[in-house]
Amino acid sequence: MSLFSFCKWMAEWTAEKMLIPIFEFQEGLFPPFSNPAGSVADWLGTDGGITTLAWLYAVNIAFAVGMTNLILVIHLERKIAARIQDRRGPMLSLRSFRELGEDLAGSAPSWKFKENYAGIGIIQNLADGIKAIAKELIVPAKADKFLFTMGPIIFISSSVFLLVLFPLSDRFAASSAPAGLMVIMAAFSIAPIGVLTSGWASNNKYSMIGGMRSAAQLMSYEIPLLLSMAGVFLMAGSYDPVVIVEQQQASSWFFGIPIWNFIPQFIGFIVFMICILAEVERVPFDLPEAEAELVEGWTTEYSGIRYMFFLMAEYIRGFAGAAVATILFLGGWAGPWPIPPEIWFLTKVYLIIIFWIFIRWSVPRIRTDQILELGWKKLLPLSLINLLIVIFMVEIYPYFSEIVSLPEVF
Amino acid sequence: MAEMWISMGPQHPMTHGLWTLKVKVDGETIVDADPELGYLHRSVEKMGERRKYFMNTTLTDRLCYASSTTWTHCYVNSVEELMKVEVPQRAKYIRTIMLELQRLASHLMWAGAYMPDLGHITGALYFWRDRELFLNLLEAPSGSRLLYNYIRVGGVKRDLPDGFEAKTERVMKLFEQRLDEYADLFENSKIFRMRTEDVGKFSASQAQNLGITGPNLRGCGTKFDLRKHDTYEIYDEIDWDIQTREAGPGYGDCFSRYMVRIDEMKESIRIIRDCFKKMPAGPTLASQIPVRAQGEAFRRTEDSRGEALMYVVGDGSDRPYRWKIKSPMFTTISACPHYLKGYKVADIPAIMGSIDICIGETDK
Repeated sequence: MSLFSFCKWMAEWTAEKMLIPIFEFQEGLFPPFSNPAGSVADWLGTDGGITTLAWLYAVNIAFAVGMTNLILVIHLERKIAARIQDRRGPMLSLRSFRELGEDLAGSAPSWKFKENYAGIGIIQNLADGIKAIAKELIVPAKADKFLFTMGPIIFISSSVFLLVLFPLSDRFAASSAPAGLMVIMAAFSIAPIGVLTSGWASNNKYSMIGGMRSAAQLMSYEIPLLLSMAGVFLMAGSYDPVVIVEQQQASSWFFGIPIWNFIPQFIGFIVFMICILAEVERVPFDLPEAEAELVEGWTTEYSGIRYMFFLMAEYIRGFAGAAVATILFLGGWAGPWPIPPEIWFLTKVYLIIIFWIFIRWSVPRIRTDQILELGWKKLLPLSLINLLIVIFMVEIYPYFSEIVSLPEVF
Repeated sequence: MAEMWISMGPQHPMTHGLWTLKVKVDGETIVDADPELGYLHRSVEKMGERRKYFMNTTLTDRLCYASSTTWTHCYVNSVEELMKVEVPQRAKYIRTIMLELQRLASHLMWAGAYMPDLGHITGALYFWRDRELFLNLLEAPSGSRLLYNYIRVGGVKRDLPDGFEAKTERVMKLFEQRLDEYADLFENSKIFRMRTEDVGKFSASQAQNLGITGPNLRGCGTKFDLRKHDTYEIYDEIDWDIQTREAGPGYGDCFSRYMVRIDEMKESIRIIRDCFKKMPAGPTLASQIPVRAQGEAFRRTEDSRGEALMYVVGDGSDRPYRWKIKSPMFTTISACPHYLKGYKVADIPAIMGSIDICIGETDK
């Protein structure tokens, strides 16, 4: 059963058992409330009403799944970063700090954890959320108030929009557009408008430089990103994620290794992974918010939930970027049978995210001119070479025999 | 984008203290720079004139939070010269060990602060983890972890505790292993070198004209170290070499300044090992220490950040008549327009971090 048919069944059930009786009861009340209620009840009885309700459920389920993953990704990032840095990460208990041991030099106490201690550090995310909501929303005195407020809204809404666009498997999909991946990339490129808006509206030089850097970076990386994706589209002959994954599933196996797109299009895979890292602005490409020179870049003036929106949106974009990489190059939800395809998909996504976390905590940030140089002088030619190889494989090689058979005239 | 002035500081992640760097940028390129110092002025010199000679070590400890022993030592050395006190041989060895441990702790503090400047937060935690070990070693004889007040006029506060040598050896051995591990993470890393090589260049002659000293000068390839050239304590009896690096013929960049400090840390370990080998037994404090002094004395020592100079004038009372401190960082920061111009905004933390700023001693 696919997600949509499940949602349709749920919509029928809720409309019949709960919504229609409620609206009919409301219809019996006095006029100001009764008028629309009756027509809503009628509409819910029709096929269009049920479908709309089913879409609403599907989108909400996809949103809930995305948000759960967001919390997991943030927790994972904190924990792995802590392990890389010889720390423990969020543990949520002061009790565990009680036991003291001796350090190497033997002269000072150092923190030691109880051996049987098992923390629930994921609650740290909840605490962060409560803190962000409780904080004051500061608007700088001479800022453009409307644009300043709109910046985070554009950024978070375009990012949350991403969550419903990619399928977790061919059955678990909130939306299935034939141009699916193009829509995802379009949603990806809305965010720079929010970045530029908030950078400009903050009336702060750091914010403005951060916004400008972000715009320059995203513009220069969008081109090799889309060119490296074009190879996959050519191979599958479609923008639809389901078709792309099916094409990779159908490809033959080579000594036990499935030939997913990252093998024939290895150059494209590398280019795509670098570009998507720049697209989601993670270290080493996080220079729009380089905290060493630009304080916090375009998020400098934001506080409270608005700042939290930026942070959340960044992780959502990271998750969506990893999902796109999985669909395009790592075979999507394809995998051996006993494990369900959704789990396969999430496993691959999380592997990419863990790889990114390792990169983030072990390299410095690179400079603006260097990042642009890398984008224009190295990645763009490489993505074109990849496209040429794919064109040869898809468009020329299958018809090679016809071309070679021409000399038979002689 | 038109040219504009950006004010970085007094509260800014780049500053490592309390000062303002005003930069004029054309897009992302630095056209001009103007450092503003003096936010942290505590009038240490004037306060010192109202306190007795031996009381001033508490002030000199607070000159630089990252390298307090070296500053106290510079002051104590100049006062000893003024009072003509003979320091016992064992005290000189202990002082050298403490100075080198302090240099290690200070360089580790710098390395840890430099990594977040380049966007590498893990580096900070690694280097500060190792600094903890050296702070523990400094704590063992002196009893405190930041402001030691261990070196006194005429010797040191007390003798080294039992088992100090073994502990130090253990820490140094571990630290040497870790430095080799870090080489892969930092100096062999492509991105680290992209950020530091050919950035913040100045030549040796330029550095000498601008008054830049210490590791920043040795990072230009100049073999000059006051521990050798104007020797004090027992540096002339110890087996060690001056570490220099250069990015090209006669000039240095951020990477050579980074490497010269890493090399200096390894050299400090060598000095400490040799000190333990040659250390004699005996008293650690001179038996006769005068309270009053007449005349003037001048002493310069190799601080962790460059040449520390102190000039003390006594008028026969138990307090200094005049006390002058010359800080190496004051001249180095003041010269920043010379080595900032022409680089990008993103290079500011990389350059200013590489010269190892300490505002406590700069503003005095």
